[in-house]
Amino acid sequence: MTIPWNDEFVRGWGMAVGGPSRVLRPETKEQVADAFADVRARNGSIALRGSGCSYGDAAICSGGHVLDLSRMNRILDFDPLTGVARCEPGVTIRDLWRTSIQYGFWPKVVSGTMAVSVGGAASMNIHGKNNYAVGSFGEGIRRFSLLVADGSVLECSRTQNADLFHAAISGFGMLGCFLDLDIELKRVHSGRLRVGAIVCKDLADNLETIERLQGEADYLVSWIDLHAKGAALGRGVLHRADQMKPGEDPEGVRFFDPCLQDVPTTMFGLVPKGWLWPGMWAAVHSGQVGLVNALKFSFGPREQRGSPYLQSHGAFHFLLDYVPRWQWMTKPGGLIQFQPFVPKASAERVLRQLTETCHREGMIPYLGVLKRHRPDPFLMTHAVDGFSMAMDFAVPTSKRKRDALWAMCQRLSDVVLDAGGRFYYAKDALLPQPAFERVHGSEAVRTFRSLKARCDPRGMLQTDLSRRLMG
Amino acid sequence: MSSRNGVCVVVGASSGIGLAIARRLCLEGRKVAMLARRPRELEAMAAAIDDALGRKAAHAYVHDASDLDAAESLFVRIEQELGEVDELHYVAGVMPEVAIDEFDLGKDRMQMQVNALGCMAWANAAARRFLPRKKGLILGVSSVAQDRGRCGRPGYNASKAAMDTFLEGLRNRLWRHGVQVTTVRPGFVETPMTQGLALKGAISADRAAQLALAARDRGRSIVYVPGKWRLIMFVIRNIPSVLFRRLSI
Repeated sequence: MTIPWNDEFVRGWGMAVGGPSRVLRPETKEQVADAFADVRARNGSIALRGSGCSYGDAAICSGGHVLDLSRMNRILDFDPLTGVARCEPGVTIRDLWRTSIQYGFWPKVVSGTMAVSVGGAASMNIHGKNNYAVGSFGEGIRRFSLLVADGSVLECSRTQNADLFHAAISGFGMLGCFLDLDIELKRVHSGRLRVGAIVCKDLADNLETIERLQGEADYLVSWIDLHAKGAALGRGVLHRADQMKPGEDPEGVRFFDPCLQDVPTTMFGLVPKGWLWPGMWAAVHSGQVGLVNALKFSFGPREQRGSPYLQSHGAFHFLLDYVPRWQWMTKPGGLIQFQPFVPKASAERVLRQLTETCHREGMIPYLGVLKRHRPDPFLMTHAVDGFSMAMDFAVPTSKRKRDALWAMCQRLSDVVLDAGGRFYYAKDALLPQPAFERVHGSEAVRTFRSLKARCDPRGMLQTDLSRRLMG
Repeated sequence: MSSRNGVCVVVGASSGIGLAIARRLCLEGRKVAMLARRPRELEAMAAAIDDALGRKAAHAYVHDASDLDAAESLFVRIEQELGEVDELHYVAGVMPEVAIDEFDLGKDRMQMQVNALGCMAWANAAARRFLPRKKGLILGVSSVAQDRGRCGRPGYNASKAAMDTFLEGLRNRLWRHGVQVTTVRPGFVETPMTQGLALKGAISADRAAQLALAARDRGRSIVYVPGKWRLIMFVIRNIPSVLFRRLSI
């Protein structure tokens, strides 16, 4: 049997890291099993890849094999009365809500882009803007079947192979390949959310407002102008969104039409948004990002006056899909995202210190996003009872500047780890090996390594990220 | 908003334009009988609509549009359970994949059965009641595909042309009795039926429903949805056959 591997250069979504690999795009679970057998026979290494939305090196296997599961994208079953979907791993969040919304169901947890696959979402145990209220993606998974390295398939749920269930979710593709997953969706009583903007004058205001609203708001996310200094440091615009109760928004019934959930692909109904990235590229490369951030902040009060307003679920959640290929604005260097998760007690001090360090070193993220989180029961979780701040850096092309950015981020990560913080492997590209134990604690790492030894004794499942963190 | 306020029947209400029409009728405050084949899906959709509206508006009736003999008795049952019907929306339609070298009577028959004969069965049942009552509306969702026979889908084109012509005849019979018959010819609409066809410039099913109901309110006989298709189809209709057969449209 010959497997049609294809030689490709596989990059992370941020385009800053990548490597040559032999890629296969299977369409059935039999083909996945055959690919595992082939790599096993060659004593090779293989990485699992969903939609390739991980910013860093979590779905890359330089010099090895990559199993791109994006063609295993069938929703095998959807129960329209209970809202439980059985999905192949390559089904995207978009596929999921396009099927479910007409029955009044929406995924419990969605990311900022709808392109993410459910297999990837489970492996990374992604979170949404409601992490503090409903937890992570894994908490809505009922069961899954997992193909492990020796070719056997294990059924996992909270009652069957529970240790594996809690480790494969969050296990960044190290334990096996999801073949199908049962995902619970939630009932929504309208195709729209009630959205409101609140201007926050500084970091403390931002954190306090989130803390105050987390008991009542369904979704909270704050954009931060990371270019603001001094008293305005950490200023931003917080968005809260709330679900409608039955009968509260009758007109919202029309928005059960999936087309009305998709983000618009044109500006003013005319200009394709796919053409916008060159303008954004010019802003990034001419050093005008600070100005763009200040401008965005200046629109905040007007939006606050116009709040609350109604917005489709899709338009609220999928901001990253508003401008297709926006990451190209960081070409040719690409981008990395540094997203620390910091316990709430030290959040203000740590986030302030991170921002000030960026200012001092002259490497300021072009985008900052603040969210509230809660712990979850998964072994390799990134969540803490605290806050995360996503910081997007455009990567310079010169080696010296790139090294300086990497070095600064290493220093930033030390600050975060000293405060008991964590990191998120869907975003990470640079954490060094000692950080792995510091993030998860030695006991969790020991358990994870023993599960790895049980499911994949020869270490066939590898990614550039796992080589970097687990050795 | 329609001047009528009786019960609406939507045949083919569990997806695409039919579902969007049903939602909009429920929003108008009407009692809507939603008819479709798959019981769980239909029940779930009706429940979702009621839930959003906060009141009972959508009533699910399981019905296979190809089961022609069931139409009359189901019409009776709906009137018994929900009250007098004064709007019939026939939106059921099938469009199976047909290869260019495939000549399959089974598929052609199914299309005639659902797209054309199903419409006749339901429109007859409605007309029989609307005529003596001197009121009512029959709205049929045909297609721009009815305007020409194309090499890609002869069965679909023929079934929609049959439906369209039947509705015209019915209109000519019923208009003098105060019964409105509106034919809607949608162009590219994003629905489960057209999924995977990558239609450029397709409108949403909700927009198609909005335009169809606007045509109903204006008392229009035939409406292209969206309106630009009137011009497009005027051009296509007037392409000489000797040329048309050489085109890939």
